Amino acid sequence: MKLMVEFDSDGVQYPNIAAAILRSGVMVNVERALIDGDEGWALLDVDDKDADMFITALSRKGVSIRIQKDAVSHNRTDCVDCGLCISICQKQVFSFDENWQLVVDSERCVLCGRCATYCPQRALSIQK
Amino acid sequence: MYKSIDEINERIRDGSVRVVSAEEMPNIVDELGVTGALRDVDVVTTGTFGAMCSSGAFLNFGHSEIPIRMEKMWLNNVEAYAGIAAVDCFIGATQESTTRHSEYGGAHVIEDLIAGKSVELHARAKGTDCYPRTSITNEFTLQELNQAIMLNPRNSYQSYNAATNMSDQAIKTYMGFLLPSHRNITYSGAGCLSPLANDPTLSVIGSGTPIFIGGANGVVVGEGTQSSPGAGFGTLMTSGNMKEMSSDYIRAATMTGYGVTMYVGVGIPIPLLNEEIVRHTAVRDEDLKTNIVDYGTPFRDRPVIREVTYAQLKSGSVEIDGEEVRCSPLSSYKKAREVAAELKTRIETGSFTMALATRPIDSHKINKPMAEKGYVCHVNEMMVSTFVTITGEESVKEAAKRLLKGETNHLPVIDSENRLIGIVTTYDVSKAFAKDEQDMSVSEIMTKNVITIAPDAPVDFAARTLQQHNIGALVVIDSSRHILGMLNSYDLGDLVGGRGRR
Repeated sequence: MKLMVEFDSDGVQYPNIAAAILRSGVMVNVERALIDGDEGWALLDVDDKDADMFITALSRKGVSIRIQKDAVSHNRTDCVDCGLCISICQKQVFSFDENWQLVVDSERCVLCGRCATYCPQRALSIQK
Repeated sequence: MYKSIDEINERIRDGSVRVVSAEEMPNIVDELGVTGALRDVDVVTTGTFGAMCSSGAFLNFGHSEIPIRMEKMWLNNVEAYAGIAAVDCFIGATQESTTRHSEYGGAHVIEDLIAGKSVELHARAKGTDCYPRTSITNEFTLQELNQAIMLNPRNSYQSYNAATNMSDQAIKTYMGFLLPSHRNITYSGAGCLSPLANDPTLSVIGSGTPIFIGGANGVVVGEGTQSSPGAGFGTLMTSGNMKEMSSDYIRAATMTGYGVTMYVGVGIPIPLLNEEIVRHTAVRDEDLKTNIVDYGTPFRDRPVIREVTYAQLKSGSVEIDGEEVRCSPLSSYKKAREVAAELKTRIETGSFTMALATRPIDSHKINKPMAEKGYVCHVNEMMVSTFVTITGEESVKEAAKRLLKGETNHLPVIDSENRLIGIVTTYDVSKAFAKDEQDMSVSEIMTKNVITIAPDAPVDFAARTLQQHNIGALVVIDSSRHILGMLNSYDLGDLVGGRGRR
């Protein structure tokens, strides 16, 4: 699953993610991050079974963590099921079902936002 | 055996007509044979739903009290062509708003009207004795117009090239967003469900053929613009009454970085009159071939990467250079099926009857490119043919000397066969000196990805290339990467000053 970690000015001062990895022994993959001097966020991919352990290990001052859900908002009314988003997305969030209807698997999304930018019908948006 | 259009219409009237979609036809022909299928099936419905840029509508507003002869006109800030009589216009799908640019255009105006929304009209005129008014601003809805006739110059391509991008920069095209280094493929068209794919010889479809367009019962006007059926790229000019259309089948869209387009649902019923027609409608995606072309080159004749069938495209991945590349459509197959199904329902319920075309369309025609007769200034007229080069093995210090001697800021790097392999600039050399790296070899500091241009490219294209990459010079090379000259940005200043103009 995907975890969204957000840091405030205290949180960015300390190697929180590294510490949590060492403390819990859980491997995580940082898929997207934006961190500067006084705030930041990181999107982590972690095995479902290890998520709770990692969340516990990371809970510290200046750090908030939540499970990233429903990152892609798909407006069914505007969508015409053209499928352009399918090959643009590098994380295979989008696919067709057997009736050529678009299926969205938000779990895989790393919030790059490309699908929202290039959807011809403006039917997709990303919720961080 | 053959069947007449009157027999088919008689069956539509008495409710006994048998209609199937083009998707079902191959299996029916396999099962019953061509003659059996002709006996059993009366009409095959086709459908497509994709981006059709060459679309628009004629609107008539009626005369205002104190009439005006509208000469310039905007609908929701999208300019419409007003050079047709006093209160008529043509709104083109791709025309963009003066305020919202590519987020709103002619296609959106059309979709808004069809959805029942009110649209603002603003028009200007010089004023005449018979039409004294000089401006008008008003709101109108579709129902208030006398006529709203959709007339699409080029719809329903028989097939279309699939697109990929072999360059190392992502590009924004009318085929969607193409990732660098052929990491995706996009394609358009409904394959075996596509209208012209089921009548490639245009033996049924012609002027006057009744069609489904945007939800209305419309008509084929005739040959579409740029139609090239002799090369497998036929198109149709279509028309229908906008007042009978629905936004289920007409959708405005924006291809980001390219502009506005309109998704149109077109369905054409094919009456099965003889065995040849039946054979054509039995086409499968496996039989329909197109080319994947490289949109990463700016030229008209884009290189063909490989041939591909619609079956391969629809599978979701296609092999290029031994790699599986993900591919996806930009036309909607689900909607194309809905078009074919809706058309089938209309025929079965008697609200849509068949007719023979009144004029055939030339099925051998091949489209010609533009022959530029006007004066175009090419790169080879503006480039500098005296230039200095260096090899990759030589030192940075040598590069510095060469730059000074050549009085230039750009030094192309060549291999032993004089082919371009990189470039170093005064900036690169200064940086190396500042870091005490003057004894390094040129190949260690050079930029390998050189922005080049062909000698026969128009200079305005060269100017755009310089601007896009934010660089000061382009290396002019031939097809074997031998350097022919350098094109410096300051040389293009001469264009304004006189050289290269007439």
